[in-house]
This record gives sequence, C-alpha cells and structure tokens, in this order.
Amino acid sequence: MERFKVKLQLNGEAVELDVNPSETLLETLRDRLELTGAKDGCGLGACGSCTVLLNGLPTRSCIVLTAELDGSEVSTIESLADGTKPAPVQESFMEKGAVQCGFCTPGMILTAKGLLDRNSRPTKEEIIRSISSNLCRCTGYKKIVEAVEAASSTETPKT
Amino acid sequence: MITSKFEFRSPKDVEEAVRLYREFQGEAVYLSGGTDLVPRMKLGLEKPKAVIDLKRIVPLTTVEDQGDWIRIGPLARIFDLKQNDLVGDYFPALEASLEATSCESLQMRGTIGGNLLQNSRCLFYNQSEFWRRSKGFCLKMGGESCNAVPGAKTCFANYCSDNAPALCTLSAEIELSGPDEVRRLNLEELYTNKADKPFDLQPGEILTAIFVPKKKSIGGYEKLRVRGAIDYPLLSAAFSFVDGTGKLAIGAVGPKPYVVEMKQPSHDAIGEAVEVVLKQVRPVGNTVLDPDYRKRMIPVLAGRLINKVMEGAK
Ligand SMILES: Cc1cc2nc3c(=O)[nH]c(=O)nc-3n(C[C@H](O)[C@H](O)[C@H](O)COP(=O)(O)OP(=O)(O)OC[C@H]3O[C@@H](n4cnc5c(N)ncnc54)[C@H](O)[C@@H]3O)c2cc1C
Ligand code: FES
Ligand code: FES
Repeated sequence: MERFKVKLQLNGEAVELDVNPSETLLETLRDRLELTGAKDGCGLGACGSCTVLLNGLPTRSCIVLTAELDGSEVSTIESLADGTKPAPVQESFMEKGAVQCGFCTPGMILTAKGLLDRNSRPTKEEIIRSISSNLCRCTGYKKIVEAVEAASSTETPKT
Repeated sequence: MITSKFEFRSPKDVEEAVRLYREFQGEAVYLSGGTDLVPRMKLGLEKPKAVIDLKRIVPLTTVEDQGDWIRIGPLARIFDLKQNDLVGDYFPALEASLEATSCESLQMRGTIGGNLLQNSRCLFYNQSEFWRRSKGFCLKMGGESCNAVPGAKTCFANYCSDNAPALCTLSAEIELSGPDEVRRLNLEELYTNKADKPFDLQPGEILTAIFVPKKKSIGGYEKLRVRGAIDYPLLSAAFSFVDGTGKLAIGAVGPKPYVVEMKQPSHDAIGEAVEVVLKQVRPVGNTVLDPDYRKRMIPVLAGRLINKVMEGAK
C-alpha cells in the first residue's frame, strides 16, 4: 500500500511524516511520535479524550486521518507549558481541583484553550457548551467550569 | 485502528474527484469531515480501496446569497454555518438544528453535506466487527434478516441527521454531480425509504450544493436524547412556517424524515399532521430508548415545538 507524505506544524515545529493512509492522527501522535498526552478513550469520536488543537480548533484526533492534514497546524497538550511552567489554564485546573483521575484532562484543557483563544471572556453558558464536548466520568464538571472561568480572567488573549 | 488498507487522494475539483472514483471502480468513498465515515471504517462497516478527501475543493465550502436561493456548500462546517447571518435571519429551524447537532468540537469538524449523507444507525449495527460476527450479519451488512427485530426482512435502522428534517421543512433542494450528469432534486427525493440503503445516489455522485429558498421563515427544532450533548437524536421534530404554510418533519425514527405540510398550525392541524406521521413510522427496539416511548413522544415534541414557534411569532 502507498505511503502518504504529510507536512505539519506540530507544537510549533515543522515535521514531515511518511504515514500509512489509514493511520489516525491519534495513532501518529501516540505510537509514532510518542506524544502520549492525547488519550485513547472510545476511539470513535464520542468522548473527547483524544482532543488536540487542529488549526486552533479542538478536534478529536481518533477520527481524523493524518493523511488529511498536509499543511495543518497541530498542538497537543505537551505544547502548553512553558518549560516547567504550566499555562494559566493548566494552573487553574490544578488550583480549582478540576482533575481527578486525569484521563479526560488533556482533552478538557485543550477544549478550554480552544475556547479561550477565540473568546477570552466566555460566559458560563459558553464554557459549558464548549466543555460538554468532552466526557468526564469523575468530576461532575463543576470544578472544570470553575477552572475555565478562573482561567478566562488570567489567560492572555491571543495576539 | 482501521484495519482495512486504502489509498488516500485529495482532488482539487469535483471533476477530478469523480474521475478518481471511477479509477477505483466504485470501491472508493468520499470524505468530508470524517466524523461519520472514520468511525464506520474503524468498526469495519466500510472497507474502501480509496478515500477521496473533498476538503480541498474550495468552491464546495462556501455559502452564497443567490437572490432567490441561499446556496450552501456541502463542505461548510456545522459550527460555521450556525453562526452564518443568512441562516440566522432566514432559517431559524436550521439554526436550531445545527446548534443541537452532536457537540461543539464535532460541529467544528463535521460538515452539512456529510451530515445529510451520514448513514442510518442501529444499536445492532454500529458495533465492532467482532460483536457483529457473534450475532450474525443483519440485512444492512448483507445478511438474511434483521437483528433488532429477529426474523424481519426489513431494515429498521434510523436516519439520525439532525439537519435533514429542518432542511426538509425549508423545502431545500440538492445538487448531485456524478460521472454522467449533474442533477437537482428536492432533498426529500434523496431518500429511498429503505434503511439498509437510505440514499438514492448513483455511484460516484457527489453532493455539490444545497439550495434553500431565500424566504423569511419562523421555525424551530426539538431533539430527544438521553444526554444534552454529543448524543445523536433518538427522535426529532423540525418545523418551519413560510409564506403562510407550515411544514413539520419528524426525524430519527426510520430511514428518512417524515414531512407533512400544514395549512394552519392550529391544535387540530397539529393532531392531523402527527397522525399522518404515526401511520408511517414503526419505531423498534434499536436505540437506547423504549420504542413505545419514542412513538408517544412524537405528538409531544411536535406540539411543544409548533406551539413554541407560533407563540414566539405573536
Ligand atoms: C460521537 C458522535 C456524535 C454524533 N452526534 C450527531 C448528532 O447528534 N446529530 C447528527 O446529525 N450527527 C451526529 N454525528 C454524526 C456526524 O458528526 C455529523 O453528521 C457530521 O455532520 C457528518 O459530517 P462529516 O463531514 O463529518 O461527514 P463524513 O463522515 O465525512 O461523511 C459522511 C458520509 O457522507 C459521505 N459524504 C460526505 N460528503 C459527501 C459529499 N459532498 N458528496 C457525497 N458523499 C459525501 C461520506 O462518504 C460518508 O459516507 C455524530 C458523530 C459522532 C462521532
Ligand atoms: S478517543 Fe477520540 S473521542 Fe474518544
Ligand atoms: S477526571 Fe477522571 S474522567 Fe475526568
């Protein structure tokens, strides 16, 4: 079977990949590039634990083929912190206790980040609408909403 | 993991896409956002030799005011479309159904064309190949009979597009471009009324445009689901009132939206319209909700929706 060449801007760096056309972005990230922050939950687009930012938009990487992405920009949870300094939205998740088992957390944080990047002061309703894309089986969402609310006042608006 | 192996192509125009389809002798599938197709490939419900990505065909992504019609490119994403002013100003039923579709992240990837052409669903069908083999293949997988209603020779899968009912109430038309011709038909004519093969599409045909009459309407959408987000509809009702005539469409309970015209949105007329639908639908135990409950919710959703829309218009 033919291989497929894809150029990506991944976490700020240009990468060139030679992938199998049936490979999902989640497989490329986890298995090929060892970026295991995005989690493999349902594998069918239902839970959001595999969320990454694709051209700035929260996207379920388990149902995207890497072959679709030539020329795209992908950011994973690994790119958020500045060295060992967590991003404001990560800080708020820790401060507010919005993490229990942590499985949904990378996806939740990137969904929140996607929202805050396009709308630095979302209403509570907008926050709920965004993060209800992602399933969390532990927290009951209350702390997550609080964390995003807190981050919305600290997150630097996109320049 | 997708176990089938395929080639991947990104044509730049419709002609090239159709030519590629021919090259793979029909064993190719078109890809838009992939939010329906990729899960199907993962479950082994689709095993194409080639995937033809339509996303690089720019003219398919735009929304255009053509005077008498609004032309919606099938590759327009649900998320962008629901924020489009033309949709908000003219088609409130569609605006509401776009908002109710899956969840925000999936709306950012999923397109309106893929939404209309998503395959029908059943609790006994949208399962892994391993699961399905253990039960024996049903009609929709090429088997002899239905697994939801054992022994039945009819497929009862549900067509769960949230936006098709709304577009039907707005009298939308679609353009299909295939190897031999470009044809335009009413959206309602797309459906075969057979759940195992829900669309009357010729091999290789691409949905290249959706046209909605540019007329001010009032309308809305009601969706029954267990969770308020992500879930597919388990029943839905769309209603639009345009030029003094109402149209009600009931979705997610059978292979197509059931559309009824109503001259007057009066209490009696709602009852009569619902009766017309009830005579045609046969909900069975192939979703997570009880079929009798779904059936009894048809008049409830329809009445609630139409009363709300007409109240709002006063
Ligand atoms: C967890 C989950 C929840 C969902 N919930 C909902 C929901 O609540 N309501 C709902 O309506 N949908 C739901 N969906 C389905 C899906 O996300 C949407 O219907 C979406 O709009 C499909 O668009 P797409 O571009 O991703 O389609 P794709 O997956 O790209 O395509 C769908 C089908 O149409 C064909 N196709 C696509 N474009 C064309 C074209 N232009 N011409 C010819 N054929 C074409 C493809 O070959 C494929 O068979 C859900 C999906 C998931 C994974
Ligand atoms: S793992 Fe991708 S949505 Fe669940
Ligand atoms: S913290 Fe456990 S799933 Fe969300």
